[in-house]
Amino acid sequence: MVTPSSRCFEDVAVGEPLPTLDIEITMTSLVMYAGATWDFHRYHYDAAFVSEHGLRSPFMDGQMVGALLARQLMQWGGPDAFVRRLGYRLRAMVYAGERILLSGEVAGTTIESGRPLALCTLNVVKADGTDVVREAAAAVELARR
Amino acid sequence: MSSRITDELKAWIGREVTYAAPEELGRAAIRYFALASGDDNPLYHDEAIARQSRHGGIIAPPTLLCETNQFYARPPDGSGYIGHHWELPLQSDRFIRGGNEYEFHQPVRPDDRITVTWRIVDIYERDTRQGGPLVFVVSEARYTNQRGELLAVNRETNIH
Repeated sequence: MVTPSSRCFEDVAVGEPLPTLDIEITMTSLVMYAGATWDFHRYHYDAAFVSEHGLRSPFMDGQMVGALLARQLMQWGGPDAFVRRLGYRLRAMVYAGERILLSGEVAGTTIESGRPLALCTLNVVKADGTDVVREAAAAVELARR
Repeated sequence: MSSRITDELKAWIGREVTYAAPEELGRAAIRYFALASGDDNPLYHDEAIARQSRHGGIIAPPTLLCETNQFYARPPDGSGYIGHHWELPLQSDRFIRGGNEYEFHQPVRPDDRITVTWRIVDIYERDTRQGGPLVFVVSEARYTNQRGELLAVNRETNIH
């Protein structure tokens, strides 16, 4: 059974944009994410410690980008979707107080081992246009009609 | 310029370490991760809605498994960190996350008890104009559940 709000493979068009996410990374978000991942590294909350290491303020764990991209992809695909692959190369650190914008589009579709996949290219940039990731891409398994 | 990759360091390629979680992942851990990611997707917290989906019940957000240090029974180091890392024979005050490639083989359930095996798959060097030679360490983590089913593979590159 296809859940009503799921996106169906047959309805996906190449070039279709994914929903964009505009997110402010605050100290609160860093602390919440660090807690939720059992990551107690002082990089993520201790301003004096990061300053000793020559960095300007506590910064986001690079893999939080992965969590946010997965959120974007699962939101788009609906309750029957499942992310099969996700990859990215990190280009810039994101510091507390910065905004990031996630976007992406469907670059292709394919059937792989019987699974209907949307192949997506993804972008994450800061408000000033700096790339946070490079070569970010995902394969999302979708429901069929 | 001499290479920073010594025979001693190279011998770490292929080295493995396994960690086994002492308990199930748990619904609270799933809801906490979703909350921290600003993710209100009902698949992660609403059993009634999740049951109607093809997943048949609450699942974890895809990358939770690859992110959490919940499985590692290590005391915090001087930086507060409790997660997996390699004690490489490498002089470096640098540690930069290069990127991740995740493969998700099946959704993770609240009652899954996770075992993860980390392995070093490659260590190589690249010269850079500004920072001198950088050492790239590629590791692969394989996550399985209590039935030995493969859940995910996480290949990550870190730069020293």
